[in-house]
Amino acid sequence: MIYAEHLRKEFKKTVKDPGLKGSFKALFNPKKEIVVAADDITFHVPEGEILGFIGPNGAGKSTVIKMLTGILTPTSGECRINGKIPTNDRKKYVKEIGAVFGQRTQLWWDLPLQETYHVLKEIYEVDDYKFKKRMDFLNEVLELEKFIKSPVRTLSLGQRMRADIAASMLHSPKVLFLDEPTIGLDVVVKDNIRQAIMKINKEEKTTVVLTTHDISDIELLCDRIVMIDKGKNVYDGSLHKLRENYGQTRELVFETDNSSKLTEEQFRKGLNLKKSDLVVEREQNSFKVKFNSKKIPVGEMLGYTLSLTKVKDISVKDADIEEIIRSLYRQGGASDE
Amino acid sequence: MSKILKRYVPFMQAGVQSLIIYRMNFIGFVIGGLIYCFVMFYLWKAVFESSGGGEFFGFSMADMVVYLFLSNTTTQLTYSSVSTTIGEEIRDGSISMRLLKPVNTDLSYMFSELGEVMIKVAVLLLPIIIGLEIYRFRTTGVIMFNAVNFILYLLSVVLAYIISFRVNLCFGFIAFYVKNLWGINILKNSLIGFLSGSLIPLAFMPSTLRVCLEYMPFASMAYTPVMIYMGKYEVNEMLFRLGLQAVWAVLLYGFSKLIWLGAIKKLSVQGG
Repeated sequence: MIYAEHLRKEFKKTVKDPGLKGSFKALFNPKKEIVVAADDITFHVPEGEILGFIGPNGAGKSTVIKMLTGILTPTSGECRINGKIPTNDRKKYVKEIGAVFGQRTQLWWDLPLQETYHVLKEIYEVDDYKFKKRMDFLNEVLELEKFIKSPVRTLSLGQRMRADIAASMLHSPKVLFLDEPTIGLDVVVKDNIRQAIMKINKEEKTTVVLTTHDISDIELLCDRIVMIDKGKNVYDGSLHKLRENYGQTRELVFETDNSSKLTEEQFRKGLNLKKSDLVVEREQNSFKVKFNSKKIPVGEMLGYTLSLTKVKDISVKDADIEEIIRSLYRQGGASDE
Repeated sequence: MSKILKRYVPFMQAGVQSLIIYRMNFIGFVIGGLIYCFVMFYLWKAVFESSGGGEFFGFSMADMVVYLFLSNTTTQLTYSSVSTTIGEEIRDGSISMRLLKPVNTDLSYMFSELGEVMIKVAVLLLPIIIGLEIYRFRTTGVIMFNAVNFILYLLSVVLAYIISFRVNLCFGFIAFYVKNLWGINILKNSLIGFLSGSLIPLAFMPSTLRVCLEYMPFASMAYTPVMIYMGKYEVNEMLFRLGLQAVWAVLLYGFSKLIWLGAIKKLSVQGG
């Protein structure tokens, strides 16, 4: 469905020395610098899959999505979606896709929402029957009735985002690109949006590419993830596998009384562990131990702690995907410098 | 055809809609234009009086009044803000939203503006024409309104709008390279003001310069339609001028398409 092959995008940027003097210099003799926003990005997405496309801020996610949607022309490399090269026949291509950029809106700012949908209906040539059915479905999942008569500029962020998602699904696209569709939203709205994505994916086999910083989006929606950092592929595979390979971190929280004075140092020395394998965080009446369960089994860790101090309560937390990704980001960053 | 209309008319409606919401903007625009006309009127009145009355390059004072008000109105009718719009959209990145829609980019820009043009015809052009004809009747005592000239004027304005739109589109595409168009737009507006004859009738220029300017596309944007309305052209010359407008419209259409093909590859969306 989606083939991205060695995508690369360069931007030219004028760099300026600091201060007024630098500004003058840049005015007459601008120094150009080439910034590589995406470099050799390759991945495939089969039909009907929901792909999580993740990476830290500035990793180049949006740039890649913009190339896939035909907004930006790749400097080199090629992408083919549904057998089409986006920039070759943009008008035809975009008719088959839907896209949401969380930080922008594709709605007409001054039109009531309802009218916007009628406009989109004409632009995408959706027939009356399909349109009605579609609107009913979107109304139901995204709860648009309450604000469908208000002008778009008066909507709250959550309402606007739901409206935008609905707009991107109106013409039953084959591929849906969602760039941070849940950014800045509360739990209820997030849930609405996830429901909509899941339903449309299940019912119509819509292929979805989703970027997000919200780990629960990924856990709930994505079959597979592609992670990029600094414009390069870092990981491509299932979430399950990621957790298996990197998810050895366990977290134990011990509740104690004030008297306990265990330190990280003590743990590390006592168990003979490296700094990267164990972290202790202290709070008033409790402390949290994060450790690599490959190096030391949970039972042993428990036993060791209990032998040192009096414990009121214990809780164990599983490998947190957020933690895994954070450590992956750090690794990716470290290997580069 | 009706299918095409159905897809683009919404852009026009959206344009009208936002015009109505930001109507103070529009009213300010119109009143500002009128004030400018009156300032120019008193300026030229002084010029005519100090030159001892009579004609000035074939223009009587009554002609001058018609020219001033009509050229200003025509400029407002054919004014296209598409270069500013493109500049804005590139600066804030919202151009990506336009590119995501399965529509022709330049047509979508044009239809967003057309609604405004139509409102201008109704609330600006018609009252100005009526006012000018009353003025002419009172100063000369004869009805000078010529329906044929008026219809040809409208035809010429349509061509003028297309030319103006395409010129502005080309300027707008420069934003793909320079990111911020503000300065370039100011340069463009003052150039057009001078070259289109809306500031000073081209007939007042030295003859070589005048001939050059008359052949340029800018003259088509205000000077040609107004001269047609005023009946300053013989039939043959008028047909030639209209033909020239049409040629420019086609050439600029092709040119803007060409620039677009190059520019779209250069697009770098800032932020987000």
